[in-house]
Amino acid sequence: MSETSKFTEDILTAAKEKAQNIVTDAETETQRALEEAKTHLSREADDIIRNARTEAESVKRRQMSEVRHRLKLQEQQEKSKILSEVLERTKKRIIEIADDEGKYFPYLVGFVESGIRELGIENVLIHFNANDLKRIDKGKLEREVTKKLGKPVKIEWAKEPLETSGGVIISSNDGKTRIVNTLDQRFEALESKLLIEAGKSLFGD
Amino acid sequence: MSGIETVKIIVEAEKEAAKILEDAQTKASEIRKRLDLLIQDQREETLRSAEKETAVILQRAEEEGKLESASYEKESGERIRQLVSKASTKKNAAVDKLVSIVLEG
Repeated sequence: MSETSKFTEDILTAAKEKAQNIVTDAETETQRALEEAKTHLSREADDIIRNARTEAESVKRRQMSEVRHRLKLQEQQEKSKILSEVLERTKKRIIEIADDEGKYFPYLVGFVESGIRELGIENVLIHFNANDLKRIDKGKLEREVTKKLGKPVKIEWAKEPLETSGGVIISSNDGKTRIVNTLDQRFEALESKLLIEAGKSLFGD
Repeated sequence: MSGIETVKIIVEAEKEAAKILEDAQTKASEIRKRLDLLIQDQREETLRSAEKETAVILQRAEEEGKLESASYEKESGERIRQLVSKASTKKNAAVDKLVSIVLEG
């Protein structure tokens, strides 16, 4: 081989080696970049799936929470229906008792007695509804009340009837002080207590 | 061989060497360009697969949620029915108690 041929061959060999290195570097670099991209993508995919699992849990929780809420409402409605019915029946029963003079009279005595005790005076004015004004034996009532109080009391009877289903209003003669012991008022004043007691009786163990 | 011929041969060899290097650079550029496409393909495929899995996970959760809710609803529905039934048997006693509270204080 001549000197020239050897020289040109060296030039070409060197060029080929360099060319090979350029391509190899590009391939290595590409491979590394691809691996990095894969790792990054894999993390991205993991994030997507992790978010999906979180969302899935929240979907399940939401469904359950909706059902719980609906059932709680349903339970409250059922309880409320029963409580309303019991309160209505209580009202009716009280009206029935008020219609039966024999049963009603002792309670009326109690209303008057407690009213007089609360007022703390000896001369009182008693107000009835129209029905009680007509039918109640006032003398008997006065005697019973006096007996229960254990001291004489002077009772006057108001002529103007009350608009109420029963019970009494006990007032001082000048009307300035009074105790309202009508059935309607008692029911209204006791309603929250009645609801609590009914709840305990109906739904307590 | 004359001096001129020798120079010509060397110049030709240099040209060929330059061409070899240029081709190598072109090939390297193509390899790098292919990388972008590869990454893009890989990304699309990975995301498609993740989305598919996401859909499956959500669908399964929806179904499990429905089943669990239905089971809870059944149990609670029965509990409410029992509560109502038990309370119904206590209504009369409750009315008696309330009447006594209203009339006796």
